[in-house]
Amino acid sequence: MAYFSGLSDALRITFVQMMIVSFIAMVIFVYGMIINLQKWGAGVTGYALEPEVGSKGSAIRFLKTWWKQVTEESHHGHGKPILEILVLDILFQRRILKRSPVRWFMHFTIFAGWMTLFAMSGMMFAVEMTERFIELPFTAAQFREVLQIPNDIFGYILLVGVLIAIARRLFIKEVREASIMYDWILIGVVFIVTVSGFVADGIRTGDIVWNIGMSGDTAMAYAPPAALFHSVISLLFCIAFIPYSKYIHIIATPLAILANKGGE
Amino acid sequence: MAKKQPSIDTKNLTAVQLMELDSCTRCGECVKWCPTYAASGQKPGLAPRDKILRWREFMNKSYGVKAKLFGPTEISGAELEEFKDDVHGCTTCGICATVCESGINTVEIWESIRANLVKKGIGPYGKQSMFPKLVNQYNNPYLAAPEDRLKWIPDDVKIAEKANILYFGGCTAELRQTKLAVATARVLNKLGIEFTMLGEEEWCCGSAMIRTGQPHIEDIARRVAEHNVDAIKATGATKVLYACAGCFRASKVDWPRQLGEELPFEVIHITEFLADLIKKGQIKWVKSLDKAITYHDPCHLGRHVGVYDAPRYVLGNIPGVKFVEMDRVKEFQRCCGAGGGVKAGIPDLALGVAETRVEDALATHADILSSACPFCKRNLQDGTDSLNKKNTAGADKLEVEDIIVLVAEALGLEVIGD
Ligand code: HEM
Ligand code: SF4
Ligand code: SF4
Ligand code: SF4
Repeated sequence: MAYFSGLSDALRITFVQMMIVSFIAMVIFVYGMIINLQKWGAGVTGYALEPEVGSKGSAIRFLKTWWKQVTEESHHGHGKPILEILVLDILFQRRILKRSPVRWFMHFTIFAGWMTLFAMSGMMFAVEMTERFIELPFTAAQFREVLQIPNDIFGYILLVGVLIAIARRLFIKEVREASIMYDWILIGVVFIVTVSGFVADGIRTGDIVWNIGMSGDTAMAYAPPAALFHSVISLLFCIAFIPYSKYIHIIATPLAILANKGGE
Repeated sequence: MAKKQPSIDTKNLTAVQLMELDSCTRCGECVKWCPTYAASGQKPGLAPRDKILRWREFMNKSYGVKAKLFGPTEISGAELEEFKDDVHGCTTCGICATVCESGINTVEIWESIRANLVKKGIGPYGKQSMFPKLVNQYNNPYLAAPEDRLKWIPDDVKIAEKANILYFGGCTAELRQTKLAVATARVLNKLGIEFTMLGEEEWCCGSAMIRTGQPHIEDIARRVAEHNVDAIKATGATKVLYACAGCFRASKVDWPRQLGEELPFEVIHITEFLADLIKKGQIKWVKSLDKAITYHDPCHLGRHVGVYDAPRYVLGNIPGVKFVEMDRVKEFQRCCGAGGGVKAGIPDLALGVAETRVEDALATHADILSSACPFCKRNLQDGTDSLNKKNTAGADKLEVEDIIVLVAEALGLEVIGD
């Protein structure tokens, strides 16, 4: 599942390509985030105000307004301590649990799986990068071995969540009818990224389910491009795509919950 | 060529609110709970999730990536007009915010969008546009002269010139549902609580304009808040009592916000005040009511400011009251349908919601459906009458009454009037 799984020294050209793709993904992400922050920052700084004539959306204005709301007292008489909100409402997602344990299980597995894989992929990336410049007490290949089992576990956790989400949208009538492209695209890309990760890994390690029937020379030949494919779409779909899709909720939802002090 | 301007602007919408639009995960919880969406026969446009989606799309068309690169996409006048109708088909009941998995403060978004559109000349809805004009001219929305505010006061009621406690009656209780004002005053007299009132100096609390997106017209919301606060300050009162949930919410949440400062007095709902007296053993009941009573939480008393227990405590203490709960109470209360200008703007919708709520009450087989707000009472009564006309079982026997009137009865006081 790691981005660089299957890449060898003989594939230096691929490494350069990866760097370029990562860079492009970051640029697309940052550009989109700036536009979003400016879009939000086109709003006013407080109740019933109007934007100044000729003033444009500003990311700084958004951040300031958000911070002011996070720190000010609420007149409605509710409001929980920030630490409680961070742990229970954002990491544990208590607001989903209160509404539906099934959907909470679905989302929590997606969330935990995705975040952990994201973090581990980031670590793998960091190790491969550092290895090129300084000597580490272990090799990237060894590190990949260490991550193999947790990668598998969290991959399956993520897969379970995504499959529940897809099934829910496909088979529950009212959910299906209310689903729009915006919804489908998010689960769709998470699904593709997850499955491509399993396949890339399966071809390389010869997993009987995920090698999709490849073994021996074919597997040797297809493992690097499969890994490359997974890495590229992960970077594009998981990073670059965030500001342009429903993915934005992984940034906006925690910010909204914090701004509203845990919500009503 | 002049650069194309976006079709919408961001007046009244805070940077955080615009971000909240992007935090909606379309989980659909709000749709399940919205009372006006249900009562409208599930009109798609009324669903909170749909309103968020549409305004987010409007924002993206005006300020999103594509707009940045190629200029804003136009939003047609008809689309904005339709949106206006939908955003006013909302009682500001707040349940969508309570259940929102993303913690979005939806109600304030609706109110901000209403004001944003009114500033553009779109909306409010129907008769709602009269509110600021009327209040500006008469200081109340009922076309009544200032001295009419005193007409409800019976000879036996004693109102002090100055006192530590002030009763803010509200236009509706003083000019329309005077039974509520009479009951409140007599109860306070009977309990030996010295209180004063603003009389002719009392102005509308501003709620109707704020909820319908018109607080800025003639600067009305700020002006009435300032006037009332100054007038209360001048009496020297430190505790202000309310028997109207609309006025209570406006005073507690909207006045400080309009004025940009904390109020120099305490804002207390009459049920909180009475619950306190009961706890101190200062209420001696005279009469047993011998009725089964259920209680409808007014949105603007419950969800908006969190007063749930006091009214139940008071009712539970009245001798001979068998207190029964309906389906959907406290923070999950189902709205009566009157709030947010819906009663004035879209009366049919208000009635539809009320019928559903009355059906909740009928299911408990209670004798009395009580509430703590004149607007709820009026609309629940209308809902009961309407069900009665449809021969719904039990609707003919159901009595709708405010808690304070029931308290007055249990104290052996006579209360007549509307
Ligand atoms: C950090 C805090 C996060 C919060 C508070 C949050 C919140 C939510 C909520 C409330 C929903 C709606 C769930 C429902 O339908 O009941 C949702 C949907 C979803 N979230 Fe998150 N989310 C977070 C992070 C993430 C992350 C990191 C991912 C990773 C991919 C993710 C992926 C998804 C997906 C795929 C859905 C759609 C499910 C569906 O369409 O049925 N979320 N999120
Ligand atoms: S505030 Fe109440 S009526 Fe308005 S959209 Fe939300 S749930 Fe519906
Ligand atoms: S409850 Fe909140 S997050 Fe869910 S659909 Fe409604 S507004 Fe969106
Ligand atoms: S909100 Fe209160 S003061 Fe204003 S009209 Fe209504 S009852 Fe009267």
